[in-house]
Amino acid sequence: MAKEGVNMSDTLDHTRRNFLYVAAGGMGAVAAGAAVVPFIGSMLPAADTLAASKTEYDVSTVEAGQLVVIQWQGKPVFVVNRTPELLKEVDGHDEMLKDPNSEEIEDVSAEWMTPENRKYRAIKPEYLIVVASCTHLGCIPLYKPSVGRKEWGDSVPENWPGGWHCPCHGSLYDISARVINGSPAPHNLHLMPYKYLSDTKVVIG
Amino acid sequence: MKFKHFLTVAGMALVLALPFAALANEGGAALKHAEVNTADRDQINRGLTVFTEVCMGCHSAKYVTYKSLIDYPEIGLTREAVDELRGDKPITSGLISDLSPEDATVSYGKVPPDLSLIVNARRGGANYVYSILTGFEKDPDGKIPDGTFNEYFPGHRIAMPDPLGWLDHDEADTAVLEAQAKDVAAFLTFIGDPHQNERHAIGKYVMIFLILLTIVLYLLKKEVWKDIKH
Amino acid sequence: MLEKMMKTKLFGWIDERTGAEAILKSQLTEYQVPKNLNYMWNFGSLALLVLVLQILTGIFLAMYYKPSAALTMGGYTVAFDSVERIMRDVNFGWLIRYMHAVGASAFFVVVYMHIGRGLYYGSYKGPRELLWIIGVVILLIMQGAAFFGYLLPWGQMSFWGATVITNLFGALPVIGGFLQEVLRGGFAVGDPTLNRFFSLHYLFPLLLAAIVGGHVHALHVVHSNNPTGLDVHEGKSTIPFHPYYTIKDAFGVGVFLLFYCYVVFFNPQMGGYFIEVDNYVPADNLQTPPHIAPVWYLTPWYTILRSFESKLLGVVAMGASLAILFLLPFLDRSKVRSARYRPVYKQMVYLFFITVIVLGYCGHSAPTPTLKLIGQIATTYYFAFFLLLPFVHKFEKTKPLPEEI
Repeated sequence: MAKEGVNMSDTLDHTRRNFLYVAAGGMGAVAAGAAVVPFIGSMLPAADTLAASKTEYDVSTVEAGQLVVIQWQGKPVFVVNRTPELLKEVDGHDEMLKDPNSEEIEDVSAEWMTPENRKYRAIKPEYLIVVASCTHLGCIPLYKPSVGRKEWGDSVPENWPGGWHCPCHGSLYDISARVINGSPAPHNLHLMPYKYLSDTKVVIG
Repeated sequence: MKFKHFLTVAGMALVLALPFAALANEGGAALKHAEVNTADRDQINRGLTVFTEVCMGCHSAKYVTYKSLIDYPEIGLTREAVDELRGDKPITSGLISDLSPEDATVSYGKVPPDLSLIVNARRGGANYVYSILTGFEKDPDGKIPDGTFNEYFPGHRIAMPDPLGWLDHDEADTAVLEAQAKDVAAFLTFIGDPHQNERHAIGKYVMIFLILLTIVLYLLKKEVWKDIKH
Repeated sequence: MLEKMMKTKLFGWIDERTGAEAILKSQLTEYQVPKNLNYMWNFGSLALLVLVLQILTGIFLAMYYKPSAALTMGGYTVAFDSVERIMRDVNFGWLIRYMHAVGASAFFVVVYMHIGRGLYYGSYKGPRELLWIIGVVILLIMQGAAFFGYLLPWGQMSFWGATVITNLFGALPVIGGFLQEVLRGGFAVGDPTLNRFFSLHYLFPLLLAAIVGGHVHALHVVHSNNPTGLDVHEGKSTIPFHPYYTIKDAFGVGVFLLFYCYVVFFNPQMGGYFIEVDNYVPADNLQTPPHIAPVWYLTPWYTILRSFESKLLGVVAMGASLAILFLLPFLDRSKVRSARYRPVYKQMVYLFFITVIVLGYCGHSAPTPTLKLIGQIATTYYFAFFLLLPFVHKFEKTKPLPEEI
């Protein structure tokens, strides 16, 4: 419909107009995209949160056979002092494990892992340090180190090799925190980067 | 006169007049000028040295963490250098003076203010800091004792004792002391707003982009309005 | 382009369930606007843009800001520390904070220009009285939001500004004490005040969003005024809002962003006008800064307050100076809208603008006797402008109006 004062110019050349529309729209989209970056970026962890990412701990305070839970980056961490008997429990049940060689995720990147010490999953085999968060949905598993059902009754299977049992959905881990077949949890309890500053002082993160 | 012309003139007059409000120093003489470059890593590091060796005897800068001395590219200390500076304080700790507020009140009558934001919190900013540090004089009226009279401090009576030893310095020392004062002013300007260089850098690109976008929008407006008799 | 989108199947599906097509047509593609609007008409859309910017930046700041006046080392507080954390540690926190602080001032610049347009061109006159009144409500809520927000960093100016203003309310008879206590949550401005001001500061802009919706709706019923002030009949001298004014508004946004981003990236403190020097000093309830002034956009009303010896009179006058804005459509009896054709009103309104600027200058400066006198004169004219209006039409010889726009 024609209106006085408005030129309905369908027949005229709109090339310039369309180009300008596209240019404006394109630049506007770029501007909008660029504007999103600082807002979403601000939601990523702040510098001070990232700086609080290391924890130091003295492993000599953990007695033989004892499990201690410490905090790292707001998460619970197991520090276990494995006696020679417990260390022997590491062998002999590889077929029960989903990932006996710790090949998944960050385990593979642990610089200090050799084919020999892989099964111990620790720089010093006596001290196992793993994130105490079940890889299924995050509950803290219960420490059940001794083999068999004598101490633990029906809560563990008959051929229980000793390790951890998660009360939430029944995931099982061996004494190196490697996940056992049949568990809902997909992965071994996570290792995190850590190193020894001295014979007994560890820095995690 | 057309309304829009009036507005443009009034607006421009206002905008031009604003910066002049920021000129004078209330308490004393007009401030000295300090050449400060917050992108000059060397100057900022020299200033950091002055700060840790002189100022931190009494003043803290709690918003500046030891870790940030590594992370800010304008400072960029090594982990070892920072470990030396911090002693047993955690690396996430701020730069905290060992002088307790109680001891400070006993010795100086007031608590030395934290210096993290001092350049932003004083009219004259870096010029003010530089002027104060090089402004210790003998009181011309003879009333205020030496070491307490400062030319540029509002009211002239300052509780801070002459930190760089400006009052009784030799001619030979002048250049050195002035440089130290400028350098610490640069350091304090930087830590008052540590992202300023990044801000300016991004701002350049933003302005260029916006100028182009506004030109395109203007052309588009003109083009579309060709339809209308106006 | 919008037309193409409206022809798609997806849009049809949405339209069946929401009536979207009718809305888009009645508000955009078929909504009629006078074709002669000048750039003074851009400020409404700019105000909406800045409101959105403030809400957006505010929400992200609120992810890190902590409204607690608990003391931390060096005389600081948890709140002040959280702002410095945003400036230093939060990724792009410095940018979001500067955008919010500059945005607050930009909001008032834009809204004052918008109001000035309304005053000059008679946009407050019938049938737009209610549109104007809703606008005054918006101004008041903006001032409230700004006042609440300014306390949040808990600097010297934050604390003492809040102390002065809450004491103001104490001057009111009968309800004053109660109001003061309800505002402060205690015997002085403190942690309870800070917490509730944070809550209200979050609330008010959301209230604004709703009221702005009402403002735009009221506008769309009566349609825009235009620089001639003439009634415009649909068809001859009007054009659809989209694409003509959407594009013109987009260009206006571009120009605005140039100014806004220049300030944000290169001079966010604006010489102490946008972020005041004293507010980098942590609040100290035992020491008043030598010079308390509200932020620049509230200074005109501060001068009116300070022009009276009596505290109560000052408060009443300040309230009256805002309340009288509501009466404007009913005070001005001239049948001619636009100042273009009203030689007497034109002078009055220019003088009014200058008066407000003078009031602002006085409010920002230390109260010397000279400035106080100037402030009182300016206050007198402020009220005189409104009180004279009912009589102006009687003797004003308006210029002949054009036939059409």
